[in-house]
Amino acid sequence: MTVPGGQRRGLVLLAPAVALTTMVTTAAVGSVLLTSVGLLPLFGPATASLQGFQAAAPDLRVASRESLLIATASTAVALVVGLTTALLLLRLAPRRRWVGAPLAAVLPVPHLVGAAAMGLLLSGGGMLSRVFGVEQSAWPELVGGPWPVAVVAEFAWKESAFVAVVVLASTSAALPDLSDAARMLGAGARQRLLRVTLPLAAPAAAAASLIVFLYTLGSYEVAWLLGRAYPEPLPVMAYRLYTSIDLAARPQAAATAVTAIGLSVIAAAATLPLIRRLGAAR
Amino acid sequence: MSTRRAALGQALAAVPLVVWFALPLAPIVLWAVAAQWAWPAVLPQRWGLTGWREAGAAGLPSAMARSTLLGLAVACLATPLGAMAGRALGWRLTRHSGAASLVLLAPIAIPPFAVATGLDTLVLRARLPGSLAVVLVLSVFALPYTTYILRAAHTATDPDLELQARMLGAAPRYVLRSITIPVLRPALVTAAAMAFLVGWSDYVVTLVLGGGRLVTAPMLLASSASGTGNEPLVAAISVASILPLLAVVAGGVLVRRGRRAGRREVPA
Repeated sequence: MTVPGGQRRGLVLLAPAVALTTMVTTAAVGSVLLTSVGLLPLFGPATASLQGFQAAAPDLRVASRESLLIATASTAVALVVGLTTALLLLRLAPRRRWVGAPLAAVLPVPHLVGAAAMGLLLSGGGMLSRVFGVEQSAWPELVGGPWPVAVVAEFAWKESAFVAVVVLASTSAALPDLSDAARMLGAGARQRLLRVTLPLAAPAAAAASLIVFLYTLGSYEVAWLLGRAYPEPLPVMAYRLYTSIDLAARPQAAATAVTAIGLSVIAAAATLPLIRRLGAAR
Repeated sequence: MSTRRAALGQALAAVPLVVWFALPLAPIVLWAVAAQWAWPAVLPQRWGLTGWREAGAAGLPSAMARSTLLGLAVACLATPLGAMAGRALGWRLTRHSGAASLVLLAPIAIPPFAVATGLDTLVLRARLPGSLAVVLVLSVFALPYTTYILRAAHTATDPDLELQARMLGAAPRYVLRSITIPVLRPALVTAAAMAFLVGWSDYVVTLVLGGGRLVTAPMLLASSASGTGNEPLVAAISVASILPLLAVVAGGVLVRRGRRAGRREVPA
């Protein structure tokens, strides 16, 4: 802006949000980091050591793998289903748009409610086992079983609605005109999909996928309710250690939190340039 | 004929979609009105409000009131802060927009459980009330969304709008109240709704920092869902946690549709 004093006014407007965010995140991350290396003990003298990481190392490896597995699978399913949903809704005639109503209903559902619902749907004796008439003993262990099927199902269900809404919001204004223009120029349905619709939807789909990945990597309650005790993802492991009656487990809990933060930051840093490039190419 | 076939194809393709989004909600809706539903029956054998009576006894009404207050507090803090930041970023009032955006989006990459467990001892040492800490932390997690929504809204709005009103003699406060806020109203409502949802849906931050005293609806749900044999109770709390939200969403859609219809009736 050319308004005199505009620069300072901008900083004044940003100050409260930036100050609150900086204060909370630095205090939290700093405290977790210091606790993980023994410099912020609950009692006694502070002595720097990597004992927290060392003691938790074998479990950290398993939990990181479990977290990355859950996040990757959930993001992949959410992206495919969400993108397909958005493309389908974009092609529907306006009077058929009501099929989008269930999608709007899923969006505000809290993940904990989603987890409770998935439990009642997928567990042995749950609704699906009744519909298919399969005895509890013969029903696959979808809830609390060796694979986090119900956990991934809950994330994919909720987050596919999120991906669909983000993609719809970013493409529905420009797509009809561009698609019509491509049709006039002789592009077939397949070409329009590959050359117009998907490139237009890609930046929003990629950004939404990153948000979904980071969310599912750091989410506690779904895996706590629907997963099983071992292997457990990082958030569940961190909270278990954090609430352990053994106060010496605090550095291990902090080391687990540091690992989760590290994985999230690496994932964000690795994919942000790609998302920028997609946005710029558009 | 071919258009009819295309329409049929669209309708058929929509079926798996509707099933995918609606099916997981079916068991909680059915269990919420079931008094008896033994395996292998596909539908409840006896209907009733057992779950709702149990939920009432477990303190659902006051838990929902606390959740509402928490959502409102987060919305009241994160919406104006997000609007101010969105104004600075969307109207390019600062050279530091890159750094500021990075800071404001950073909470997306920091897991809430890590923030909550990291702050817990600090909050105790500073003798800060737990519920205040919960509101502050959840506002930080709502800020990326409110800032992003309101930055986009400012980008789509001409900053000269305010300048013109000022040149016509309007006081700054009048401009804000009668020009800027009405123009940004849809985005402000969306941002406030997102922030409310962050507070309404939270479990882990309330669990760690609330110190067990801030019993919100998700806290009740978690304690009943982790047990077995109380499906009607779990279902009643679940349905109670989403019905008000669906009512608000449906209400918003109807109001917007009504407004659009009203606008169409006015001759240009």
